[in-house]
Amino acid sequence: MATEVHREVHEQRESARPPLIGPGHNFATVTDKISALALSRPTSRRWWLGFGFSFALVMLLLLAISHLLVRGVGIWGINVPVAWGFAIVNFVWWIGIGHAGTLISAILLLLHQQWRTSINRFAEAMTLFAVACAGLFPLLHMGRPWYGYWLVPYPNTMQLWPQFRSPLVWDVFAVTTYLLVSLMFWYVGLVPDMATLRDRSTHRMGRIVYGVLAMGWRGSARHWQRYEAAYTLLAGLAAPLVVSVHTVVSFDFAVAILPGWHSTVFPPYFVAGAIFSGFAMVLTLVIPIRALYGLHDFITARHLQNMGKILLATGLMVAYGYLMEAFAAVYSGNPYERYVQVNRMIGPYALMYWALIACNIVTPQLLWFRAVRASPVALFGVAMVVNVGMWLERYVIVVVSLHRDYLPSSWGMYSGTIWDWATFLGTIGLFLSLVFLFIRFMPVISIFEMRTLLPEAKVKEELP
Amino acid sequence: MSTALQPVDFPPAARRSAFFAGALGLTVIVALGLWRPAHSFRSYLVAFLAWLALPLGCLALTMLHHLTGGRWGMALRHIWHASVNTLPLLALLFVPLLVGMGYLYPWAQPEVVADDEVLRTKQLYLNVPFFVVRAGFYFACWLVLAYFLNRWARRSPSTADGEEPRCFRLLSGPGLALMGLTVTFAAIDWAMSLEPHWFSSIYGVMFANGQLLAALAFAVLLTLMRGPRLDPDVQRDLGNLLMAFTMLWAYLAFAQLLLIWSGNLPEEIPWYLRRLDHGWQWVALSLLLLQFVVPFMLLLSRAVKRDPRKLATVAALILAMRFVDMWWTVAPAFPSESPLWRCLDLAAVVGIGGIWLGVFLGALRTTPPDLVVEELPHA
Repeated sequence: MATEVHREVHEQRESARPPLIGPGHNFATVTDKISALALSRPTSRRWWLGFGFSFALVMLLLLAISHLLVRGVGIWGINVPVAWGFAIVNFVWWIGIGHAGTLISAILLLLHQQWRTSINRFAEAMTLFAVACAGLFPLLHMGRPWYGYWLVPYPNTMQLWPQFRSPLVWDVFAVTTYLLVSLMFWYVGLVPDMATLRDRSTHRMGRIVYGVLAMGWRGSARHWQRYEAAYTLLAGLAAPLVVSVHTVVSFDFAVAILPGWHSTVFPPYFVAGAIFSGFAMVLTLVIPIRALYGLHDFITARHLQNMGKILLATGLMVAYGYLMEAFAAVYSGNPYERYVQVNRMIGPYALMYWALIACNIVTPQLLWFRAVRASPVALFGVAMVVNVGMWLERYVIVVVSLHRDYLPSSWGMYSGTIWDWATFLGTIGLFLSLVFLFIRFMPVISIFEMRTLLPEAKVKEELP
Repeated sequence: MSTALQPVDFPPAARRSAFFAGALGLTVIVALGLWRPAHSFRSYLVAFLAWLALPLGCLALTMLHHLTGGRWGMALRHIWHASVNTLPLLALLFVPLLVGMGYLYPWAQPEVVADDEVLRTKQLYLNVPFFVVRAGFYFACWLVLAYFLNRWARRSPSTADGEEPRCFRLLSGPGLALMGLTVTFAAIDWAMSLEPHWFSSIYGVMFANGQLLAALAFAVLLTLMRGPRLDPDVQRDLGNLLMAFTMLWAYLAFAQLLLIWSGNLPEEIPWYLRRLDHGWQWVALSLLLLQFVVPFMLLLSRAVKRDPRKLATVAALILAMRFVDMWWTVAPAFPSESPLWRCLDLAAVVGIGGIWLGVFLGALRTTPPDLVVEELPHA
């Protein structure tokens, strides 16, 4: 049958590719190596240094928030006309970073991309931490975060309902759903590994904590069957969320009729940008961790290559978005639309615009070359540049569009104050602290899924 | 083994009847053209754009598959190749549109432009010579891509280890980027500029996705109808892919509708007002139900994806709705004509479609069944 030939060709091609797991591993070594990171390996001085530095930044965050609560949002640089400054820029930046996790876990799982296995756990954790950082900003931006629950629709004596036509309210639902589903997905995926750690832990405390988290997992056939069903269902639930969250974020801008915001290409282009920045952040974190903890056998050159290709593809989609925005502005013949584009290119913030083009469009073109994709150092460099570029993109969208709108009499300028920067750096510290804790106490790579990649896990299926 | 690799096969009678139907349809359109040239060209444009979606979508899918690999594509590849081979015919069929430009595009009518300030500012882009040069460039890009992909595929590309030659991937990456740009600007030039005041930056993405959806549904339909039985896993993957592109269609359509509806700007909203009035609202409703809701619900079911006949029915529905969608997108641009008056569009769809199908079936016969698999030593 033709289909058998197709299958054979496919398998031949698969086997011709570099393997997803280094040579010489078996079930025991995979388990040992990954669980040792959390259980037996002594906490290194470098870990303490890194964690200490990140935690110092968390202290800075707490200071900035306390000052904000005492003095109000006036300590930030926001003004009229630029009422959305760093808070929204950072919110969109963080939430974008949080997209790679679910994409890798859910969509690549549904597409049978096996190379996702060694990076999915890590990327999901990163997603949660990034969404946590993102969630802080709209709350703080309210000025009175303790009234945050007013955004939730519930019958109350004040007869107060949120404005359902506002995308900002949709954001509350989209981001909360995303956080909850990502958390469940991550945790459900962790359960079998928690049981492994529980069984191998030599410390009483470790046995208790991992034991509680493992929820009585014994690895029986029925457990595995239920687990597989639950995990696939959650993947199916999570997949649309990858698209929905950043779509709603793009509506925050595009539903307004402000030139520079009101563009129909925003939803797909924001989603592409989110995946772009998410993969850049995964690379930024994975490459050093792989080198420091010697995980070359599990996170192979092929993984890095594939992530480089996704970075290039999504980067091209983002470039397409910029092009369409610029073209629509010129083509529209609308003087306000045209002015926004001109103001971006040669206005007071032109430097940021061109830096953004250099970071997000020019630099990723290096990824066309195999040599760049094969070099971890070069990939890391490109990913860092993209991280910066994506922050600049949001800055240009938020600030440059707002600071000069229809009425020249209400034009103004904006720049972040020291408290804006302190809050931003503080969330980076929070993010990194959580990453450090995660590396120290959790299995950074899914142990049981890695075992399924081993040759002895392959059972030859009988063809019907 | 090679006997098992039957191509999707149609009897010669199918080709003959396709050509006959095509000739009949084109005769009606030409006859109409002698009486009311504007109407004739309008119908012709809708049909041309609808059929162009198939070879262009197949070209993009071929390149996409060269980049991603996967078993789902191998079963469909020879259909894509045959479809891509019809591109020269479509370049030829484009020529009448150059003749009819003055009837179709307001910006190509000097007296309209003279009275319209917005159109005067747009003349830098929307003018006749530049339009012709751009169209030539788009077709040149597509034909060059098609030529190389087919040539390499015919030249026994497989090496012993089953790895495809690198040239495919080296061409497909930049090729897809080029496709994205040329299809976008072709959509802007040929369809969006029918209403030259209106613009939407998502338009090119919608057009390209529509082409991919049409081409995938077409190839799946043909394979399931006449080809070898598919592996159940591959068949399920194809069903899922159809569902993914259907969802993407709904996503893009909804995004544009929501943003334009909520903005309610005088330069944007007329596009929807024209398409939700004069009977077009029923066409829009049918799109919502039959291009999205029904196929989506059906493709969720594993039983539908497993049964070749049911999956083929869904693919046929999706493909048919692609034509309705193109009609709804393009035809209301022409002032105050209700769908009933536009029944003659069907003649153009049959006319171009008959000729296209005839040429396609011919190409299918001369295309090797699976260009890569056939050359393998053990096949």
